[in-house]
Amino acid sequence: MIKFWYKRVRLGVLTENPELDKELAQIKKEIKEKVKKKFSGSLAIRMVDSGSCNACEAECNALANPYYDLERLGIYFVASPRHADVMLLSGVMTFNMTPHAKEAYAQIPEPKWVITLGDCPVMQAPFEKNYAIKAPAEEHLPITHHISGCPPSPLEIIQGLLEFLRKI
Amino acid sequence: MRFIARYAKETLLGFEIITVYEDEIEKESISFKQPIIKTLAKKYPTAIWFERKMHDDFGIIIEDAFDKRPLVHQERFPKDIHPLRKNFNQDKLAYSDYLAYKYEEISGDGVFQVAVGPIHAGIIEPGHFQFSQAGEEILHLEVRHFYKNRGIEKMLEGKTLLEAKPIIERISGNESIAYQICWRDIVLQATKQELPLAIKKRHALLLELERTIHHLTDLGFIPNDGGFGAALAIGSKLAEDARRKMREFTGHRFGFGAIDFKNKFIDRVIFEKWLDELKNSIDFFEDWIMDIPSLWDRFDTTGVLSLRKALKYSTVGIVARASGVTQDRRNNKFYLDHGFIMASEVSGDVSARFKIRLQELKNSLVMMHNFLQEDKSLLELSNINDGEYQSFSESSIGELLMAIDIKDGVIERFYIRDPSFVNWQAVHLMMYHDIIADFPLINKSCDLSYAGNDL
Repeated sequence: MIKFWYKRVRLGVLTENPELDKELAQIKKEIKEKVKKKFSGSLAIRMVDSGSCNACEAECNALANPYYDLERLGIYFVASPRHADVMLLSGVMTFNMTPHAKEAYAQIPEPKWVITLGDCPVMQAPFEKNYAIKAPAEEHLPITHHISGCPPSPLEIIQGLLEFLRKI
Repeated sequence: MRFIARYAKETLLGFEIITVYEDEIEKESISFKQPIIKTLAKKYPTAIWFERKMHDDFGIIIEDAFDKRPLVHQERFPKDIHPLRKNFNQDKLAYSDYLAYKYEEISGDGVFQVAVGPIHAGIIEPGHFQFSQAGEEILHLEVRHFYKNRGIEKMLEGKTLLEAKPIIERISGNESIAYQICWRDIVLQATKQELPLAIKKRHALLLELERTIHHLTDLGFIPNDGGFGAALAIGSKLAEDARRKMREFTGHRFGFGAIDFKNKFIDRVIFEKWLDELKNSIDFFEDWIMDIPSLWDRFDTTGVLSLRKALKYSTVGIVARASGVTQDRRNNKFYLDHGFIMASEVSGDVSARFKIRLQELKNSLVMMHNFLQEDKSLLELSNINDGEYQSFSESSIGELLMAIDIKDGVIERFYIRDPSFVNWQAVHLMMYHDIIADFPLINKSCDLSYAGNDL
């Protein structure tokens, strides 16, 4: 294990995009009252996949890697909709998943918001509407913000979340 | 004889049932009036999902099946609707009354059920797991999927091969290159053309790069599910590096749109330097992680799949190779010439699946080195001929089968069997007598796709 700590000390901090910290500091200043009131200083996200190809999930997982380290911005993914402020919805809302996605939304305590992630939930991906697809998501849930891309890169997701914070 | 897949297609007179084995393909015709076949599940247990899917898709009756529950169609799916029939053209379906699904459950004194999913606690795809528990000990698990069913098979009918490409590359994000390579082989069969060697090598390089990304991610996530987060920090960092390489080579972090018929420039010096650095990082990682006793205490003897069961359940890919089955679609002259070595372990537990990934990862780096070839090869595609085509590739999960029938220039029937479709059916075998807290670890050690399974 000592080898690991040697390497760890030599490598230093890998996290990129320090400008995001500044941007967040700015946003925090702008909406300090709002964040404090609504989010107690941090934003909790519940990710719901309603029929994606798993690329959006892979990019959300990548947000936790040392280059992006999303949690340093006070934004983190939670294990239950009951702990969440925001539902991050990916996928085309399949026939089989739509009732479950709606149920997850119902479980989020007020106030709550839905952000759509990637081109699928807004039917911008190459998938065509058929019997198994219930998207666009706006027909089923109140959507506040959309992060586009197929899939959006981790940096685009972070920027999208900051835009959302500005918006509300 | 290894069972690979079983699927149906509609013809003018009835249905044709195609059963694919390792060395042969069997075809059976049945009429619309009597759409009845016999089950293969008594000999090949994994045939049961193929047959249940056949019933949902086409209404084909499996006369002597021991399990006749719907598979793809869930509680609220309208009854007596078979979407893959040619006379089904609706693009909207209303929900029908809720009809409960009868789970496989063990009952008895003190035995209880734990239902997990479809929405899970992490950033994971949706699927349902129904456990029968005796205290902490798992007695039985039923895996129930198809929440993500997007109707891909129907969606692709009536499209040309080129129109189908953007959808095919988005069926399973982690295996996009493997799916595209299957598509490429079908295009080449349909145009009766040969691929220039340099392009073939480029595609093989990209497939190994995709495998590298996926394995690195798993090498981080498997220890993380055993409570060892430091490995995830290293694994996810290296996976991100590899994903950025994918973007550099293909313009996309997942390689969507990467497989085409033109060779492109890759800077040999920079790439080889990167491969060497990655090799060093992996050597460091291996040396370090092999020396963490508490981690191997979790891994060893957890989630065992015996060789006998691995063969009986026709498993493929990482899961099969970890149990001692030497099966890999890359085991051919082209790959062997470029340094392919069959990875193999025998213990069939989480440790074995972890070690197989390490072996394959190191082998992928060697092969990527050998696949690098700079030239300006280009292939102009000629006309696509009608016919029935089939292709295989080895994705980062395992053997992938794609079958496409082309009629009048467009897709008449599209069928794909993701490696996950067979391996999911073997997951319950790994659970018996393990504790429920080990389920995430065992599940992650297989890292199967939900999207590719559900279609």
